Amino acid sequence: MTTTPRPVDGASGAPAIELRSLVKSFPSRRGSQDAEVRAVDGIDLRIEPGEVVAFLGPNGAGKTTTLDMVLGLTEPTSGTAEVFGRRPREAVVGGHVSAVLQTGGLLRDLTVRETVRMIASTYAVHSPVDEVIDRAGLRSLADRRVSKCSGGEQQRLRFALALLPDPRLLVLDEPTAGMDVTARRDFWDTMHADASAGRTVVFATHYLEEADAFADRIVLIAGGRIVADGTTAEIRSQASGRTVSATLPPGSVAESVARLRTVGGVHQVEERGNRVVVTAGDSDTVARLLLLELGGTDLEIVTAGLEQAFMTLTGDGRDARDARDAPDARDARDARDATTPDEELVR
Amino acid sequence: MNATFTLLEMRRITRDWAGMFFTAVLPAFFYLIFGATVDAKDATIGNGNVAMYVMISMAAYGAVTATTSIGGNAAVERQQGWGRQLGLTPLADSSYIAMKALIAMTVAAVPILLTFALGAATGARGSAQAWVLSAVLCLVGSAVFAVYGLLVGTAFRSEAAVGAASGTMVIFAFLGNVFIPLSGALLAFAKFTPLYGYAALARYPLTEGYLPDGSQDPLWVPIVNVLAWLAIFGTAAVLLVRRGRERQ
Repeated sequence: MTTTPRPVDGASGAPAIELRSLVKSFPSRRGSQDAEVRAVDGIDLRIEPGEVVAFLGPNGAGKTTTLDMVLGLTEPTSGTAEVFGRRPREAVVGGHVSAVLQTGGLLRDLTVRETVRMIASTYAVHSPVDEVIDRAGLRSLADRRVSKCSGGEQQRLRFALALLPDPRLLVLDEPTAGMDVTARRDFWDTMHADASAGRTVVFATHYLEEADAFADRIVLIAGGRIVADGTTAEIRSQASGRTVSATLPPGSVAESVARLRTVGGVHQVEERGNRVVVTAGDSDTVARLLLLELGGTDLEIVTAGLEQAFMTLTGDGRDARDARDAPDARDARDARDATTPDEELVR
Repeated sequence: MNATFTLLEMRRITRDWAGMFFTAVLPAFFYLIFGATVDAKDATIGNGNVAMYVMISMAAYGAVTATTSIGGNAAVERQQGWGRQLGLTPLADSSYIAMKALIAMTVAAVPILLTFALGAATGARGSAQAWVLSAVLCLVGSAVFAVYGLLVGTAFRSEAAVGAASGTMVIFAFLGNVFIPLSGALLAFAKFTPLYGYAALARYPLTEGYLPDGSQDPLWVPIVNVLAWLAIFGTAAVLLVRRGRERQ
């Protein structure tokens, strides 16, 4: 690493991010019953310097809107957002915070290097252009037009732009959305290499694996509120039980399912052809039953993942799905960052 | 003012060959066809000749094509996420607007200079004052159509719409007494169209208000036309931008 985090000036000891009773509501669209949509509905959060935090939640949960307020791109309806003890816009102007936003928002007719030079020119002090190009793994693409770069390459370019001010806080809003598996891994490898600088990193994602693999702390957001906040291990332990699955002899499945449902501590029994999937608090009892009495083979026991925790914490599965599909919750976000020309024409 | 940023923006525009052709070369070509080579080119109008009259008209057309597309593309870029990217930098909105305005004026100057140079070489005649004032009025007045571009870009959010807006300048130019001299009812109607006032004002130092059909416009006619269209474009753009903000 060639750079060191800039010395803490002025507001030393201030948290990297401090949100107090943060609320953001949008006027609802025509035809909607509600007067307004609350995309962010009262968030209190403190993130200390050096933490790596994931904002995890389904689409429309309010992640992007919250981060927009942290970055000064949107003003809160009520409540306050502070970055290193300052107003977000001041923190941006001072180069203390930068971000990689979701897809879109690059000029296609510039080359990679020209884009970096252009954004660099807006800072009074910035890291050298060639240095950030190298750090984002873009050296071989420096003279390529942005329009000819893949989604993953464009995202690395956004990452290079975010590195220019050498920010103490780096915000990533669903940085790997729309990337294939390889591109996603490359992106996180680049990020990992950079995390050693002691930067505070906050990223939004709806990929559980990403939150699990990269964050020290997960803030679970649903319906504009924080529903859980803790280390990955803590979040996972809030989920109950394990999943046991096995293949049963043909013909005995229906009978075995009925039997399994009578066992204490079994939450759910699913039939998938000759295979049963049992969610239970006491996995040992279920496993013993399956192997010794029901003639089960190919037994698998899986600890409930973050996914399970996620479902548990955002209400039951059904509620979570409803929240995800609620058009208004989605609209709030779509209205800002995903408006297509067609959509605009019909308004 | 940020020189690097401005120069890179300029480079983007010069890369767009098709755009540069319609902005810079086409008006000059039109001047050669409709001004320099017509029989009536030496006929007197105001303090100069018809060639000069056509030259100013074509320069004005080229300038508005440039400002419409620059204003429109700025609006589209900002809404397609570049505005958010810039929002993460210390760049103030006012500096951004100042830079875009400088770029629009610079690019608009290209067809004006080119057409005026061709005019000087092919027999356009007018008073020295007319040459200077007309060029300045072409340039300054073209800013009104940057607002028009901004309006279309904000309303339709696509580069295609901005291209179309630039293209509508051809229609406005026909309707606005820019390409061909109108008379009678058409001329009466033309006085209400967007390009009429701007082009008439740019030609005023030459024509002193006289039109090819022999009638004369008092100075207030083109001025009121320009101000009215500026007010219409400006108000609509402000309303649209505000509507866009409320949705954020």
